Amino acid sequence: MKASVFGGLAALALAAGIMTVADGARAQGNMGGDMGSVPKEIVIGDLYASTGPFASISMPVYDGLKLWVAETNEEGGAYVKAYDRKIPLRIVSYDDQSNTATAATLTNQLITQDKVDVLVADSGSVLASVSVPVAREHKVFLIDPTGTGSPLFSKDNPYIALVADPASVIWPKYLADFLTDEAAKEGLTRVAILYSTNDFTGTQASALKGFIEASHSPVKIVFYRGVPTSTSDYTVMINTIAATHPDMVIELGYVGNDIAFLRNLQDSGLKFRGVFSIYSGSEPEVLVKNVGASGLAGVFTYSPSNFMHYKPTAGMDVDQFRALWDKTYPGGKVAFGLNSDAGYVTGLAIGQMLANAPDLTALGLRKGIFAASGKMTTLAGPFSLNELGEQTGELMPIGQLAPDGQNAVKLTVVYPPEDADGKAVFGPK
Amino acid sequence: MLQQAIVSGLVFGLYFTLVGLGLNLIFGVMRIVNIAHGDFLMLGGYAAYWLFTLFGMSPFLAAVLVLVVFLAVGWPLYYLIVPRLQLARDAEMLSLILFFGLSQVIEALATIAFGTTEHSIPGRVLGIGPFGLLGAMLPKAWGVSALVSAIAVGAVALYLYRTRLGTLTRAVMVNRDEALASGIDTNRVSAIAFGIGIALAGLAGVFAPFMLGSMTPSMGVDVNLAAFAVIVVGSLGNPLGTALGGMIYGVSLLLMQTYLSSWANLLPNLMLILVLLVWPTGILGREVRRA
Repeated sequence: MKASVFGGLAALALAAGIMTVADGARAQGNMGGDMGSVPKEIVIGDLYASTGPFASISMPVYDGLKLWVAETNEEGGAYVKAYDRKIPLRIVSYDDQSNTATAATLTNQLITQDKVDVLVADSGSVLASVSVPVAREHKVFLIDPTGTGSPLFSKDNPYIALVADPASVIWPKYLADFLTDEAAKEGLTRVAILYSTNDFTGTQASALKGFIEASHSPVKIVFYRGVPTSTSDYTVMINTIAATHPDMVIELGYVGNDIAFLRNLQDSGLKFRGVFSIYSGSEPEVLVKNVGASGLAGVFTYSPSNFMHYKPTAGMDVDQFRALWDKTYPGGKVAFGLNSDAGYVTGLAIGQMLANAPDLTALGLRKGIFAASGKMTTLAGPFSLNELGEQTGELMPIGQLAPDGQNAVKLTVVYPPEDADGKAVFGPK
Repeated sequence: MLQQAIVSGLVFGLYFTLVGLGLNLIFGVMRIVNIAHGDFLMLGGYAAYWLFTLFGMSPFLAAVLVLVVFLAVGWPLYYLIVPRLQLARDAEMLSLILFFGLSQVIEALATIAFGTTEHSIPGRVLGIGPFGLLGAMLPKAWGVSALVSAIAVGAVALYLYRTRLGTLTRAVMVNRDEALASGIDTNRVSAIAFGIGIALAGLAGVFAPFMLGSMTPSMGVDVNLAAFAVIVVGSLGNPLGTALGGMIYGVSLLLMQTYLSSWANLLPNLMLILVLLVWPTGILGREVRRA
C-alpha cells in the first residue's frame, strides 16, 4: 500500500516535471514543437486601432508593418533560421478600436485561437500595456513596436522587446543634455515642463526631470505639471506657465496635445526663448497642416529618421520607404512620419528575429531578436536592446524647425555636436 | 491667474453652451438621448474644414451652410428614427442604444472618409493674436466662437419664447400627450426641434477646430461627455439652462486646469455625480421647464 502511494506520488511528480519542461520549451504559434515539418507560412498576429484616440498613432504603424510584409513576400518570404529557408508571411490582425479591454481580449485570441507565430502589440504605451501581461502569462514573446513606457518592462519578464522607438526613460537624454549644456550656456536656465499624464510622456517628463536634477547644472525647473492626455485647450495653462517666467518650455504630449498647445501658444501672443514639442519633428506634415509652418518656427523637437537619413544595414532608407509609402497609400489619410517608420522597423526587427532564432519558442525568438541588437541599423538608426528588452538605440538628436517658404518646415539638427548641422537659435531675453 | 481662469472659463463655457444646446433641445422635446450628438458635431467640423480647404470658404459662411444642410438632414432623420423609438416602452433607454449604434457608424464612416490623423483650420482665419477682456488675454478665435455661441443661444431663446412654433415646442416639452390631445402636431414640432438640435451640433463643430485644437473622427466621445455634464448641470430638458451649465463647466474646467491640472479630466464626471445627487433636476430644473 505504502509502496503504491509513493509510486503514485512519483508518477505525479514525473508527470508534473514533464509538463513543466514542456511548458518552458513550448513553441509559439501554429508550428507546435514539431520542427521537422516546414510550415506553409509564418503567421504574424497584430493589433491596430482604426478608431478612437490612438488611431492616429496606431494606423501608421500597422500600415508600415503591412508594407514590410508585402515587400518580404515579394521576395519569397522571410528567412527562418529554424527551417533554414524562406517562408511566406501572413498577418492576422484585429481592430481594438483604441479600447484597452478589447486589446487584452484580442491579444488572448491571437495567442489561443489563432496561435500566431509572432505576436505584435498595438502602438503606444497605453494599448501595448494590456498585451504585456497576457503574453507573459501565456509565455509568448511579444514584439512591442512603440510602447515605450517604463512600466511595460521588468527584469522578471523575458517575453518582450521594444523595437521601434527608444524607451521613454532614455528618450529625453539628448534633450536633457541640450538644456543643461547648450541652452544653459546661452543663459536659458529656467525650464518649464508640461506633460500629458500617460506612460509615454509621463515617463519622459520624469526622466527629463531626473536627468536635469542629476546634472547639477544651473538649470532650474520652475514648472512641472501634468495635464490629462485628452486636454484640447492650453490657453490658461500657457498663462500659468508664463507666470513662472521660464526661458524654455518643454511640452510633452501626443500629436493632438502638441497641435492644441502650439495653436494656443500662437494665439496667446506669449513668447518664450525656446519651446520644445515631441511631434513637431516626428509628424511634421500633420503639425504643419494644423498649426501652420509659421507656428512651428523656432520650435525645438526630436530629429527622427525622416530628417536623419541613416544608412541602413537592413531594409530601405527613408527616401525609398517614403516613395513606396506614397505609392502604396496615396491620399495621405494615414500620415507618413515617425509612426509609419516605426511600423516598417517593427517588420525589419521581426525579419531579423526569424533569421536568427534557433527555434520558434518564446525564448528562441528572444534569442533571435537579441542577436540583432547592436548589429543592425535601420532607417530609424542603430537597433539596440538592453536586458529588459527596452530599445536603447534609435535615440533622436535635438533639432530646430524653420519654415522652408513653401508651407513646410525644414529641420536643423542642433544637438549633440557630433550630429549637429547648425546652431540653436533662441529667442531674445 | 485666478482672473484669467475665470474670464477664460466664462468664454470657454459659452462655447460649451453651444455644444450642449442641441443635445438638450432634443432631449427636452423628445425625451430621447442623442448619443451621436458629438459625432454630428465632428461632421460639422469636417464640413467646415473641407469647405475651407477646397474653396477657401470662411467659417462664417460655412456655419450658415452647415446650419441649413444639417437642419435638412435632421428633419427626415427624425421621421426615420424617432417615431418608431417612441413606440417603445422605454424610449429613453432604447434611444441610448440606437444612437450609440448610429454614433459608431458615423465614426467608422468618417474614419474611412477622412483618415485618422488630426485636421484643423488655421487659427488666423478668425483673427491673429490675443485680445483683452476684463483683465484677461484671450485668443481672438475664442472671442468669435463665444460670440457665435451667444447669438445661437439668443436665437433659440427667441424661437422658443417669441414664435408660435416655439410655444408649441414648449407645450410638447411640458407634456407630449397633452400637447397631442390639444391638437398639436407633435411629430412636426419634434422634427423641427430635432433638425435644429442637429444643426446646432453642426454649428458647434464649425468652431471646434478653434476651440478644441484639432479634430479626429473619434472626438465625439469626449464631446458627448462634456455636453452631458453641461446639460445635466444646467437642467436636462431645459435648453436655456444649458447656458448656466456651460458657464459653470467652463469656469470649473479652467480653474481645475490652473490649480489641479492632472485631475482636470475628472471634472465632467464629478459634476455629473454631484449634480445628480444634490439637484437631480439640474440647477434650473423644474421652474423653467414648466414656464
